[in-house]
Amino acid sequence: MREHTFDIVIIGSGAGGGAAAKELAPLCREGARIAVLEWGPRLAEHEYTGRETEMAGRLYFESGGVFTRDRTMTLAFGRAYGGSTVVYTGTSLMIPERPVKRWGVPGLTWEDLRRRSLKYIRENNVHLLEEERLNDNNRLFQAACERLGFRVEQFPINVKGCKGAGLCNLGCPNAAKQGTHRVQLPAAEAQGVQVITNCKVQRIEGRGVLRAVVEERSFGLPSPWEPGEHLVRARVVIVAGGAVHSPALLLRSGLGRQLPALGRYFTAHPALILVGEHPRSITNYYGHPKSFYCDHFAERGFLLETCMYFPFVTAKNLIGFGEEHAQLMHRMDRLQMILVLALDEALPDNRVTLDRAGEPVVEYRFSEPVLEALLESMKVSARIFFAAGAQRVHAPAGEKFLIERHEQDHLDELITRRRLQPGRISIASAHLMGGCRMGASPADSVTDSWGQVHGVPWLYVADSSLFPNCAEINPYVTIMAFADRVAEAVRARWREV
Amino acid sequence: MAPLNESQWSFLHLVGRRVVPPLANLDDAGRARFRTIIANALAERPPGVRAQIRAFLTLLRLAPLLRWGRTFSQLPGERQDRFLRWLQDEAPARLRQGFWGLKTLLFMGYYGQAELGASFAYTPSPTGNEYLLA
Repeated sequence: MREHTFDIVIIGSGAGGGAAAKELAPLCREGARIAVLEWGPRLAEHEYTGRETEMAGRLYFESGGVFTRDRTMTLAFGRAYGGSTVVYTGTSLMIPERPVKRWGVPGLTWEDLRRRSLKYIRENNVHLLEEERLNDNNRLFQAACERLGFRVEQFPINVKGCKGAGLCNLGCPNAAKQGTHRVQLPAAEAQGVQVITNCKVQRIEGRGVLRAVVEERSFGLPSPWEPGEHLVRARVVIVAGGAVHSPALLLRSGLGRQLPALGRYFTAHPALILVGEHPRSITNYYGHPKSFYCDHFAERGFLLETCMYFPFVTAKNLIGFGEEHAQLMHRMDRLQMILVLALDEALPDNRVTLDRAGEPVVEYRFSEPVLEALLESMKVSARIFFAAGAQRVHAPAGEKFLIERHEQDHLDELITRRRLQPGRISIASAHLMGGCRMGASPADSVTDSWGQVHGVPWLYVADSSLFPNCAEINPYVTIMAFADRVAEAVRARWREV
Repeated sequence: MAPLNESQWSFLHLVGRRVVPPLANLDDAGRARFRTIIANALAERPPGVRAQIRAFLTLLRLAPLLRWGRTFSQLPGERQDRFLRWLQDEAPARLRQGFWGLKTLLFMGYYGQAELGASFAYTPSPTGNEYLLA
């Protein structure tokens, strides 16, 4: 087994790990040895092919279809140099004041997160897309929301030189999206931080000792380390493997005994895709896919966003099969899509746990308020589609596969709670949060407000698992702001650890 | 170990034609891609999931015996659809979830083929803005 020694090791290179690496990189000038251990591959530019199943296999855990224990929801999260920032749409929102106040974490203020978020908004080139680059799928949503009196806003996105491939969720083939793989990680490497890809950290054994294994893959650039087992020592360890794998790693490492909240309070913004069919071809898969959101119903527990998914993801989200399903699928160019996201309360029994092999298992039950929010959101979305001019609408909890335009006054009878059966409809999540939540006490949280694990001065968490409750928005910028706080704490303390 | 044996593949194709009718029109290359995509997807799942899919295929094949005295393959197409619809909408949760997983694999095998995109009016371009600004 090969051995390596560093001062600071960061596990994971997504929004949290990538931001922490860049913020700590200046320490390399003072002699600090810093490494990022990333489980996923670093793809060569020509490997971003935009082909759905191929890219899903390369860039996501289990191709983006990790099941919860009872198989009622799939979880999509990235595994790559840059983590999930390689596969998100680049939507970069500042967290509103309301959720931060609601979390009530002592020492964590909205003003502090806002200041740090603004830094990344500048650094990652976040801006509003020019109007002429908005496609019909987005414009129709905006116009319909305005017609119906719903508050609708444009998403700021972090692109540079976007050519409108519309393939953001498969890794941008034009290198336009400014995730940590384009901004923070290259900047960190330029200052001396080592990034070791294809490297899975299996467990933390005692004080700053990590057992890791480098895997061989048939794609991506070779890892800087040889395949096989590695022992890594560090003065400070920052865990940034995301809301599933960070709690799992800490549980495997035996920290669950002293931290009863570890793995718990997992939230996910459970999401559904709805489809409206227009009588003519619209521009939907050309251009950036996600330009608008509607938070008009946040108080009622859901958000609506524009989206445009790829054929397979679309097909699996249409609840049905056979001729009617195939007929709708064969009109991809006429489809308008809306993503609905339920704002789910963090509950202790929704949690990450381990199977016998030590691999993570997510236990998640849909609460009644979440199911009610999903039901209501489908009816609102159907109204938006019809207001936008759609001929017919597919709602996952529809009594029929398609609701026709002339039936739009009967949505209460046609979209029903009876049909909203978890396990029947495709509920998915890409906003995984919690499991190592921040808080004041080890009784109900895992870290303090600076991401330090309670009672373990050399161990930090810097990713989406820190959320004490759901973010109520797309969470990436907030994750970076969290990581910025963690990096500040580590900078101040690493020598004395 | 191959994720499915020949008999299971052939049964999967049979079910597939009810779930994704255009599957019947695939040429040899399309059928090969269908198999490769599904085999790859199964290969990256935990062994337990592969075993569950195999078990579900067996159940799907035999369960109609209880109701109609015939296996799934022996039923006329309309009755096959009725049985699949029952699995989707009315069956106990575990069976519903099993059918959802099977449908997902079949959709992946067909709609995951980039080569077929034009046939369902999906022709993305790395320079999609050109179509917006034209």
